[in-house]
Amino acid sequence: MSSVGGKRLRSSIFRPQSLLIGVVVLWFAALILVPTLALANKALEGGFRPFWNAILSSDARRAFALTIGITALATVVNTLFGLAFAMVLVRQRFWGRALADGIVDLPFAVSPIIAGLMLVIVYGPNGWLGSSLASLGWRVVYSWPGMVLATLFVTLPFVVREVVPVLREFGIDQEEVARTLGAGRWRTFWQVTLPSIRWGLAYGVTLTVARSLGEFGALLVVSGNILGRTQTATLYIHDTIEGFEPEGAYAASVVLAGISFVLLIGMEQLRKYVEVRESGQSE
Amino acid sequence: MRRDGRAISWVILSLVLASLGLSCDRGGTSAREDVLTLGAYSVVREVFHDGLIPEFARIWKTKTGRDLRFEESYNGSGAQARAIASGFDADIAVLSLDSDMELLVKAGVVKKDWNEGPDRGIVTNSLVVIGHRDRPDLPIHDWGDLTRPGVGVLYPDPKTSGGARWNIAAIWGAGLLSASRSTRDAEAARNLLARIQANVVIMDSSGRQSLSTFDRGIGDALVTYENELLLRRKYGKKPIPYVTPDATLRIESPVALVETSVDRHGNREVAQAFLAFLISMEGQKILASYGFRPVNPDAKLGDFPPIPARLFTIRDLGGWTQVKRTVFDQDGVWAKTFTDRAQGK
Amino acid sequence: MANSPPALILRTSTLAYLGVMVVLPLTALTTQAFEPGLARFGQAVTDPFAWHALKLTFATALVMVAINAVMGTATAWVLVRYDFPGKSIMNALIDLPFAVPTVVTGLMLVALYGPSSTLGTILGRHGWGIIYEQPGIVLALLFVTYPFVIRSVQPVLLEIDRGEEEAAATLGARPWTIFRRVTFPTLYPSILTGTALAFSRALGEFGSVVMVAGNRPLETKTGPMYVFGEIESGNRHGAMVVSAVLLASSLGILVTLNLIQRGRKV
Repeated sequence: MSSVGGKRLRSSIFRPQSLLIGVVVLWFAALILVPTLALANKALEGGFRPFWNAILSSDARRAFALTIGITALATVVNTLFGLAFAMVLVRQRFWGRALADGIVDLPFAVSPIIAGLMLVIVYGPNGWLGSSLASLGWRVVYSWPGMVLATLFVTLPFVVREVVPVLREFGIDQEEVARTLGAGRWRTFWQVTLPSIRWGLAYGVTLTVARSLGEFGALLVVSGNILGRTQTATLYIHDTIEGFEPEGAYAASVVLAGISFVLLIGMEQLRKYVEVRESGQSE
Repeated sequence: MRRDGRAISWVILSLVLASLGLSCDRGGTSAREDVLTLGAYSVVREVFHDGLIPEFARIWKTKTGRDLRFEESYNGSGAQARAIASGFDADIAVLSLDSDMELLVKAGVVKKDWNEGPDRGIVTNSLVVIGHRDRPDLPIHDWGDLTRPGVGVLYPDPKTSGGARWNIAAIWGAGLLSASRSTRDAEAARNLLARIQANVVIMDSSGRQSLSTFDRGIGDALVTYENELLLRRKYGKKPIPYVTPDATLRIESPVALVETSVDRHGNREVAQAFLAFLISMEGQKILASYGFRPVNPDAKLGDFPPIPARLFTIRDLGGWTQVKRTVFDQDGVWAKTFTDRAQGK
Repeated sequence: MANSPPALILRTSTLAYLGVMVVLPLTALTTQAFEPGLARFGQAVTDPFAWHALKLTFATALVMVAINAVMGTATAWVLVRYDFPGKSIMNALIDLPFAVPTVVTGLMLVALYGPSSTLGTILGRHGWGIIYEQPGIVLALLFVTYPFVIRSVQPVLLEIDRGEEEAAATLGARPWTIFRRVTFPTLYPSILTGTALAFSRALGEFGSVVMVAGNRPLETKTGPMYVFGEIESGNRHGAMVVSAVLLASSLGILVTLNLIQRGRKV
């Protein structure tokens, strides 16, 4: 079983390896590829013009504007938190560190429906924090702050989880060198630490964005689905998919899935490109 | 890379601000425009969004010269009721059942006397009917036909859908009153409900979803609101033939003013005008064109099949509080159909 | 160094954020679930509908995990070790389930495999159903958790030193034996991580399952669907109780996973 650079030459299509490949590809096609293609097909069934019209309808536009706004806000906040907390987890030692490490992962364990329920319990008008906020005139649930909170909750772990392993691997040596050379804390961070973790960070941010764009369950419970005010793209899809003009729903689905997907792929491709270039340069 | 990072941050920041600006809270009245916020159940989406609201906005502009903008939310009736009770600042609540409205009374946002007017707060009438596929080998004329083995029945989940509660109450009532209007046969009611529920293929979360599922070729019979099926004609969808069972329930859905929101927004005048419009002949005419039977029995609006001989109302069954307790409670008749069947009864 | 003012500020502010965003809501849910007392909690959990929903959720998640452990590892293996036309495209598309909104997943699965589709009609004739039956739930779960095991195993597989495998081969071991005795021991932590994440996700999956399951109480109503129904019909306590159980289970899995990973690091 000798191999050259991990590649094998196929000499006949009936080898057990080919069988395995076949099974895996078939599984992938039946489970993932075909349903996704069916979605794209359904969206473009009537042609490109109706697809475009559906996307540009006023309800759809407002839904997307809301989704993008919430996604941008949630991504910025959770990226800042993610970076900061990764530094705290990896570089600092304190009582309860392991516990905090575990707590960060909790949102992965929570069903979006349950997340929505929890937010209503805490921030609803009779809730623990909600009643005090209401007396200040701040409405959280059934308004955009609640939706931002819901999105912040479900995307909390991504940046942390992607940055921590990279930061750990990177080690503290280069940072210490920078410090002995006289660089300040901030400068060290920007010019030494950040570039070394940039791919972990980029992947974490991409995942955060993709997840925010697709959030549904928690928003269903928390938003009130007010057209133009608290209806995101996913709620819009859910709303219109049973209506008399479902093309809007399919079109919006394709756009959402497309954006997320392009981000994921784009990042992967960019990384490969930069790695190739860097390895070329270092020789 | 640092410069790019900064540029990206500015882009993101402006996107965020733009979207927040787009989605900020604007309710009430301003110098030139009135705003009315509507919290409604999902079935009335088209009749309000496409019919009643544009017409009323036009009337309001002609009468007062002011622009009228609506903010609308359409959800399951129960969900909408809970949202309004929990702080959603709708000015007008349009719900499927009067017991959902009572939730709002209990939360203190709707006045206790909301249903003491001559129309009892009811603004739409419809019937529980059975849609079918017109198959000669599978005749469906009445509730009994839904109990036959192999007949696939569709209706939504009463936990999430107000429409489903009307459907199940109709079946329950038909069984209860099967002997006569004045006698109550609880055994027959339980039996009928159990046998029909056993034939239910899927319970979607809303009436609309059930209709969609039926449209996709699943099931042989769809229990739903009559107006939902009549609406299809208006939107050029393939018509679904339906039968009105001899004994069925009249669906009466309420509307009320949400006092707390109206006080906060200062738009009581336009809100009350809208309510009056819904009951008026013009409003009822629009409703009729969307498949809702007129609330006033004498009004000859729209083209509806005749009223079934043994039509009953929720009051004949003791009112929603009674029906909820007997049928929909955690150990009510409906829940028992599952546990009984699981135990092989 | 760890207690210098800036470090302390960083630590306090991030822990505060974590506290408000995660610990607070979870505590609120747990306390309110137990507020009416332990007896009422027990009653709500053993309610036949709640109990069945919980059993169904765990059962379907386990079936999915078993399938995913095998197929996910196989897929990662194929992507790393072999070459075939379309491999790089397929590798890129592995992440599709992360991009597709769950709302839409269910719909597409129904359209393709439901009772009125070509495949569905054929299966229906033999009395088998996927969509609107329990297998449909597993199908939706398989879709949304597809990348977990693959992306967990792939990097490890890429890093593995082939030297040991080659040595075993020269000593005459057959491929399956090599896999079982040499590769697998290095691989199984990542497989475990992937399946644990998938299981955790499955316990809470709603958007896709709600469209394919049929929502029939005591037959195809899962935990999250039960929670949603109870929230909607005003039984908040029942919703919170089942939520608490689902949460505790997911948590338990993540904590165990963490402990195992911590045990393996030096």
